[in-house]
Amino acid sequence: MFSRVLIANRGEIAVRVVRACRQLGISPVVAHSEVDRGTRAVALADEAVCIGPAEARRSYLSAASIISAALVSGCDAIHPGYGFLSEDDTFADLTRAHGLTFIGPPPEVLERFASKAGTRELLARHGLPTIAGSHGMLRDDEHALSEAERIGYPVLIKPSAGGGGKGMRLVRTPRELQQALTVCRSEARAAFGDDSLYLERWLEDNRHVEVQVVVDRYGNGVHVGERDCSVQRRHQKLVEEAPSPAIDDDTRAALAEAAVRAVAAAGYENLGTLEFLVDREGRAFFIELNARIQVEHPVTEMLSGIDLVAEQIRIAAGEPLGYTQADVRLRGHAIEFRINAEDVAHDFRPQAGPVEVFLPPGGPGVRMDTHLFSGYEVPPYYDSLLGKVIVWGPDRQSAIARARGALGELVVEGLTTNLPFHRALLSDPTFLEGAFTTGLLDRRGAAAFLAAAAEA
Amino acid sequence: VSSHEPRGDGGEPSGYGEDTDARDRAEISRLADEVLPALAARLGASGLGELEVRGAGWRVRLRRQPSPAEGSTGTTPARAASHPPGASRHGGEHAHEDEGLAHSPAVGYFGPRADLAVGLPVRAGDGLGHVEVLGLRQEVLARVDGIVGHVFVEPGQAVEYGQELIRVDSLGRHDASGSDEDGSAGGDGR
Repeated sequence: MFSRVLIANRGEIAVRVVRACRQLGISPVVAHSEVDRGTRAVALADEAVCIGPAEARRSYLSAASIISAALVSGCDAIHPGYGFLSEDDTFADLTRAHGLTFIGPPPEVLERFASKAGTRELLARHGLPTIAGSHGMLRDDEHALSEAERIGYPVLIKPSAGGGGKGMRLVRTPRELQQALTVCRSEARAAFGDDSLYLERWLEDNRHVEVQVVVDRYGNGVHVGERDCSVQRRHQKLVEEAPSPAIDDDTRAALAEAAVRAVAAAGYENLGTLEFLVDREGRAFFIELNARIQVEHPVTEMLSGIDLVAEQIRIAAGEPLGYTQADVRLRGHAIEFRINAEDVAHDFRPQAGPVEVFLPPGGPGVRMDTHLFSGYEVPPYYDSLLGKVIVWGPDRQSAIARARGALGELVVEGLTTNLPFHRALLSDPTFLEGAFTTGLLDRRGAAAFLAAAAEA
Repeated sequence: VSSHEPRGDGGEPSGYGEDTDARDRAEISRLADEVLPALAARLGASGLGELEVRGAGWRVRLRRQPSPAEGSTGTTPARAASHPPGASRHGGEHAHEDEGLAHSPAVGYFGPRADLAVGLPVRAGDGLGHVEVLGLRQEVLARVDGIVGHVFVEPGQAVEYGQELIRVDSLGRHDASGSDEDGSAGGDGR
């Protein structure tokens, strides 16, 4: 096992990784940018190292600075968190070249699963039903048009790199496709430094369901159930829950088992999430694999009692899984609400500034993962996630009741957050029925959604 | 995303009469709020190293990356432009600091130049040493003319980004070349 781990991330996930290190008896060191000196993760760590200025390109995205920080602070491994360099095989390779361990899949595994189109083809060969998509990346507009024709409209344009909805567009006609390609390319280039795009068949009224898997170096793998992430705004997840209300128990079991069987056979290693789209008939189609810890991992932890970040670290250190599928028991229902510094009333515009008062919720079945404290100043440089409220109950209804209590208790003053959205969601009939689909919020419009909730 | 120095090469007011003061301040704040973010975005997109724009009585120059020794004098990413006022003040913490302080340009191991010692006369832009990052050296430069007043770190010591490494005491007048006699006055040059 590692003795000292450098955490190359910020915000709530840096705090979360510090906790996992403590649990395993590892000394946590936090790498931070100049503006993140006063953060919670820095305060909780054994040591902190400033790696660069606020600009992420020169701090959290600077492979050389991060590896240098790990070396000067005597660490033997690097935890990349999510986003930033978490799925960068070149960074993982460089980490290893300096005698350090990258906490995540080994570089050659990351490389094998780096291409989304390639991963789809690979896992299809291992028995997963996959969504129809373009063969490889789009070479030019003409190639895009012919591929879209073959797949069938509507299609979703997606960037090969990254996530979070940037560079993504749903198009229904060749004309729309042609118009959107330029925009998507420039968005993807600006966000990820890579403008390669591919196409994916779009399913109307789809649900987003993903399966959490854990696979060790020796080919032992288990799934830890699925999560439903259908409450989205512009392809960005806002709420996640498990089990998914979209599928029945038989489909659930078959999907999760097929997922872990396929990735283990394809040589995957460490934590991973397989994302699926589920159509109106309840059929699931694989879309992509995320080779990192995900924002919504606590939902699965609440159901399983497994510390997924600790598992990730253990497996990277070469430890065997040590348990089988029969040992994984999933109990009750959990829902996670992402608390973002966003002004819902103004098109979810990102906010920054001081948090004057912060009071987290509590009580049975309530967890909040956050880096906030009263007096903390949210910098404008990074994403707007402030934390996550996760509730658990023996069933969905009791989890929703706890969510109402928890979101009512949560106080964040001085800064506008998306709390009004979550409170509105908890009185929305479609959500209460468990029938939310990924395109619903965009179709209705956030303003109309909030207004309807206010009347209800 | 580009970076620039918020106060370096900023507005250059046309007149210095008392009555123009308020007007100048308004103009400077307009430049800071409107012109700088637009220029920063332009610089970021262009791939150019430096961009200079002149208007009536003012000139703004943006450089993509501060020279290593100035690394911690504050950065204002282009994104700040899309955020509410008050939020864009981050990163400027060092702007009022002692100009003679040389900060570490990176996280790594410090190596002084061979003759670095208190009392050494230096000119702005002179190399004072380096920080080694994965085998590559990043120079630490003097930012003012003066004499070395204090060295805060030992040779081979691990340093973090922005850490104070060396203080150069300014001679007041920009004429370090005259102080050939090894400046044993130490830090009392001001």
